[in-house]
Amino acid sequence: MDCGDLRIQLLDLSRHRLPRGLGDESGRHLEGCPACQRALEVEGALDDLLERTVARPSAPPELRERLSGLASAPASTRARLPPTTRPWRRAAVPALAVGLALALAGLLVDRRLGDAARAEALFTDELVNDHLRVLAGQRPAEVESGGSHQVKPWFEGRLDFAPEVPSPAVADLQLRGGAVGYVLDRRAAVLQYTLRLHRLTLLVVRAEGLPWPAGPARVTGARGFQVLRWRAGELGYALVSDVGGADLAGVADSFQAVTGR
Amino acid sequence: MGSGPNRERPCDAGLLIGKVVSDAPGEDATAALAHADALYRLALHLARDPSDAQDLVQETFTRALRAWGGFAGGTDLRAWLLRILRNTFLDRERHARRHPVEGDFDEEGHGSSLASDAWLRGDREPEQLRGLVADDVGAALRELPEAARTLILLDQDGLSEAELALVLGCAVGTVKSRLWRARARLRERLADYRK
Repeated sequence: MDCGDLRIQLLDLSRHRLPRGLGDESGRHLEGCPACQRALEVEGALDDLLERTVARPSAPPELRERLSGLASAPASTRARLPPTTRPWRRAAVPALAVGLALALAGLLVDRRLGDAARAEALFTDELVNDHLRVLAGQRPAEVESGGSHQVKPWFEGRLDFAPEVPSPAVADLQLRGGAVGYVLDRRAAVLQYTLRLHRLTLLVVRAEGLPWPAGPARVTGARGFQVLRWRAGELGYALVSDVGGADLAGVADSFQAVTGR
Repeated sequence: MGSGPNRERPCDAGLLIGKVVSDAPGEDATAALAHADALYRLALHLARDPSDAQDLVQETFTRALRAWGGFAGGTDLRAWLLRILRNTFLDRERHARRHPVEGDFDEEGHGSSLASDAWLRGDREPEQLRGLVADDVGAALRELPEAARTLILLDQDGLSEAELALVLGCAVGTVKSRLWRARARLRERLADYRK
């Protein structure tokens, strides 16, 4: 063994993970080679330096919450998540079936019992699930956006209502596209926006029978996501994202200027 | 996903992916949460911004979960997730063209070859290394090509050479030589900060 052979083994040697035979051979070379002894010391010093100076931060709690939300999505949803070219609706509708039955039953029971808070929590949870399905679909839009003037007409004939499609009026906000999906028992317009690197989903449904606030938009949250809900006439709007509270409120305000409140 | 031009040797990436797939976990996707810290650390070093790093980890999870159904087992989950994260980052970089494509850091003629004595930097190098501070190391790391930086950081985070091979899509022997070169390049950069 010469210096060239040993050099690539130095790191393993300094970490005591060379196989016995190779280690013995390396040791014999080292005994008679001051240059390689020094190089071995350098490898150790570099390890110490990196250990001492390279920060090892943990994932922030809010990120963990979001990841937990994604990881706890139903396995059936994950299994059906499509390749990126497959429409969101085809994947989402079957995946919603089980959750729909349970959640709707829960909502009906809760309404009968007058448990408004629990109904709202269930509704919030379902809206977050809808947002997660959009995120997981990667390219769920059935109509790519060139602006709200393209997306809004696309819904004609696909829904029995005409959703408002707010144009972005906030810096860095972009309309990415839309699709038809479901929220609980009803068809929904699923509008997708981005704000910087964050994604936002605006769900529009017929409002009847669901827990919408009587006045201003109401903020609820689940698993690190925020949901802003408001009602405008016969339609209900729900904006869902992991965007921070102030930013999301600003977006919601700009949307409500278009949809009414 | 995929590796870019001049970034990695094609070697046996397909076989490696196949191995990871066969070892990956089953229905319980929450197992991935155990690796959130490792993912965030690499993301932070790659993206260099906490918000971007969080987005990168979240997109990694989304991609992983979309592919989760075909997996079984779990021994190489961390390496598989880190591989997705790195490829997601490279995809973004190429798409955004925020940085020029970096050449392979162990190209021929780039110094620090195994046959040269460039790695011997004087008798005082160990002592000088001990005198450096975090800012020096951070700056030197940022000057390295992405592949070299990733190798050093993941090695420091405790990944085995076999796991590094899975992340980078290379043979273990390639990882060994690349890691040696990456560390040599780091020492070259650190020489600028040594007194």
